Amino acid sequence: MAVAVETLRPHHTIWGDALIRLRRNRLAVVGVTFILLLALGAMLVPYVSPYPWDRQNYNIILQNPSWAHPFGTDNLGRDVITRLLYGARTSLQVGIFTQIIVVLVGIPIGAIAAAAGGRMDNIIMRFVDVMYAFPDLLLIILVRAILGPSIYMLFLAIGLVAWVNVARLVRGQILSLKQRDFITAARAMGASGPYITLRHLLPNSIGPVIVVLTFNVPRAIFAEAALSYIGIGANTPSWGTMIRDGYEVIFAAPHLVAFPALAVGILMLSFTFLGDGLRDALDPRLRR
Amino acid sequence: MHKYLLRRILWLVPVLLAVAFITFSLMHLVPGGPWDREKALAPQVVENLNRKYGLDKPLFVQFGNFLWNALRGDLGVSYSFQDRGVTQILLSGLPKTATLGVIAFFLAILIGIPFGMAAALKQNSAVDYASVFFATIFASIPGFVLGILIMIIFSVVLHLLPTGGWGNVKHLIMPSFALAALPAAYIARITRASMLEVMRQDYVRTARAKGLAERIVLLRHILRNALIPVMTIAGPELAFLISGSFIIENLFSIPGVGRLFVQGVFARDYGLIMGSILFYAFAVAIVNLIVDILYAVVDPRIRYE
Amino acid sequence: MTALLQVRNLSTYFHTQDGVVKAVDGVYYEVAKGETIALVGESGCGKTVSALSILRLIPEPPGKIVSGEVLFEGTDLLKLSQEEMRKVRGAEIAMIFQEPMTSLNPVLTIGRQISEALELHQQMTKQDAYKEALRLLELVGIPQAERRARDYPHQFSGGMRQRVMIAMAISCRPKLLIADEPTTAVDVTIQAQLLELVRGITRELGTSLILITHNLGVVARYARRVYVMYAGRIVEHGTAQAVYHDPQHPYTVGLLSSVPRLDEPRKTHLSTIEGQPPDLIFPPSGCPFHPRCAYAIPKCSKDRPELMEVEPAHYSACWVALQKPTPWKKIS
Repeated sequence: MAVAVETLRPHHTIWGDALIRLRRNRLAVVGVTFILLLALGAMLVPYVSPYPWDRQNYNIILQNPSWAHPFGTDNLGRDVITRLLYGARTSLQVGIFTQIIVVLVGIPIGAIAAAAGGRMDNIIMRFVDVMYAFPDLLLIILVRAILGPSIYMLFLAIGLVAWVNVARLVRGQILSLKQRDFITAARAMGASGPYITLRHLLPNSIGPVIVVLTFNVPRAIFAEAALSYIGIGANTPSWGTMIRDGYEVIFAAPHLVAFPALAVGILMLSFTFLGDGLRDALDPRLRR
Repeated sequence: MHKYLLRRILWLVPVLLAVAFITFSLMHLVPGGPWDREKALAPQVVENLNRKYGLDKPLFVQFGNFLWNALRGDLGVSYSFQDRGVTQILLSGLPKTATLGVIAFFLAILIGIPFGMAAALKQNSAVDYASVFFATIFASIPGFVLGILIMIIFSVVLHLLPTGGWGNVKHLIMPSFALAALPAAYIARITRASMLEVMRQDYVRTARAKGLAERIVLLRHILRNALIPVMTIAGPELAFLISGSFIIENLFSIPGVGRLFVQGVFARDYGLIMGSILFYAFAVAIVNLIVDILYAVVDPRIRYE
Repeated sequence: MTALLQVRNLSTYFHTQDGVVKAVDGVYYEVAKGETIALVGESGCGKTVSALSILRLIPEPPGKIVSGEVLFEGTDLLKLSQEEMRKVRGAEIAMIFQEPMTSLNPVLTIGRQISEALELHQQMTKQDAYKEALRLLELVGIPQAERRARDYPHQFSGGMRQRVMIAMAISCRPKLLIADEPTTAVDVTIQAQLLELVRGITRELGTSLILITHNLGVVARYARRVYVMYAGRIVEHGTAQAVYHDPQHPYTVGLLSSVPRLDEPRKTHLSTIEGQPPDLIFPPSGCPFHPRCAYAIPKCSKDRPELMEVEPAHYSACWVALQKPTPWKKIS
């Protein structure tokens, strides 16, 4: 019976199937939509907004939302929605660039640990354990202090602290895939170790890695916002900095702190929805 | 059991050593030093200060000295608080951080587990959907954001609670909820998934076949098994709560270790940074140790491995 | 002999995404006091579901007992309240499950898992119940019971765990024991030991036994009467002697010829039953076995046969069995 149904269904690749399932997940669609709209707004804001992000106007400080300023103005008379969209640039960049670093560091280290095995594996994994024991925000702050105040160094600092879960995942994936038949088959055909790793093992563990990266993004966004809130984060417009500034006038104009805080929360939520959706969509156990 | 415990405790030593070493090396990579002021100090003064604090010695000697002193409870001198050593400074912040952490820890468990259980027992009911919905939201919003939002509601709009400070119970309410929300949501999610999994197990059917009352089946047979993954997965998340507390302390102006750390960072106070990072690493390690012990208590398969 | 348990027209359906699975569809059987009957059939034919339905342990949803009566000493178990039903489970009717590896709670000691039912049904104190648990462990042949009672399931082998399950099931001296393929998951050498153990205990206590199995070899040795199940229905029943030596349903014939028999000359090959068990959501028209049946006649695909007495005290749900002699007689 099951066999008969299978033959009637159109054939899809693993990714095509995943995309179909992702589109059926309402929360994931909501998340992606918000992320895309925010990205669009962040890209277009210099051309669309009548206000530069840093123009101060002391005649209109701490205004409540109005037609001219839909999200109000801050204590220097700057337009809040314009600043929010510029801040979105920082948050989205943090999300993307940190994960590039995570991929560049975490995948090779995990793959090396799994492929080398033995002592090498042991050393790497103990190091990963130590990294887990570190309170990560504090470590980011330290690394940031070393690397300097540039925003790119902030990406690097967050990325250099966040790679451990990907390394652990890749190692685990490769070790479990190593046991499977098709790898044994490849080995029997005379394929070499590194060749097998590159040709068979990595492509097969790519799905779970993507899921973990998606869940990493909101953590990185949070780290940047928290650091900027404390005053050691981004020197570009940032939601964290806006929260810090708004916090000073929370009684006079609570919307100044509420909007960036909500923005951080909603963007993180969107990536989590996307991550949940991707995980369900890529889970081979749910594939039929 | 004893062997397992001993191994877990011994493992703390290299972890903490490595954390100390990494922190120490990183700090010395930071450009600038504790004597950088608006007005540069005379080179002779800097040299004298360095000699006084042993900063002229080779790095590993400094590290060795630090470790030796740390073992005796002396975490060295603070360069920004001239009157007290790092140990005294941290001890002044410790009770606040610990109080907040412990309250949030229990809040997270007392909220998370019952909601997770209720959702699983009434799967696909309104209770279930509501629990899953709120758990999803709160599991992805950091305490820092939640803290701001509840501060606006309860301090700014309703004037019920103070925005910050330390002293009475009112000061604790918002920060502990802000801190507990994320792990509580996470625990609720895992509890629900784990309960649903355990409820399908053969041994639960066996328990029912004995004629046991539903309450006993739930408490004795389902819950104990369901809590195992909750501990292994949510345990590290609770440890994570500790490092999250430093941002909450800053938001609610609580003079705990987290605020001291931030002061240390701004003052390039090596001693204070080192001490507070070690404090957090130690706290994380202890929480993980407790989780591992509980794990062994609940799951005999671990105990006898 | 008076019937201890009578199952009448029992139907248990499962509501799945693909449709309603009629796992048990109008089943009848009965067990007398002290009697052992066997329920035989391929996996997925509804044997286990019918047994779980007796104890009302069907997970609901997706399952549901949609009709029928389960008369135990004259009382319909399906009409009892949850509270009353709990007093039957474990105390009056106990069950040994198929999977000893997963049927014991991994976080409780063996002793505790046996004693908890005793505390409940026999109102024993904790100490007495534990002592009784030790006695039961010895009874089912677990050496060093005192020490082993403090151990956890993962420290026991599959065969030992099944002994524990047996000890647990007989602890409250139930009137009826249901053993659901108690030996499929253990080594062949252990299987016979376990079955002998169950037989010895049920004889001693005068317990009735429903033995669920797919192994017809087991049936002949242990059961007095046999019910053969196919696609959620009883297709044949009679004494073990009669079913074994003079099967009246082609499905039983197939089952018998797929078992190697020592009492017959060695055949060149074991025959198997062609095809797959039927889809229980959309069962075939007429007799559910007809697509796989070598003897099917046109009537078989049109009219569904009910159980008919084709020989004295020997029932079959087969149109072909009404022809005498039956066509399979010559072959087997």
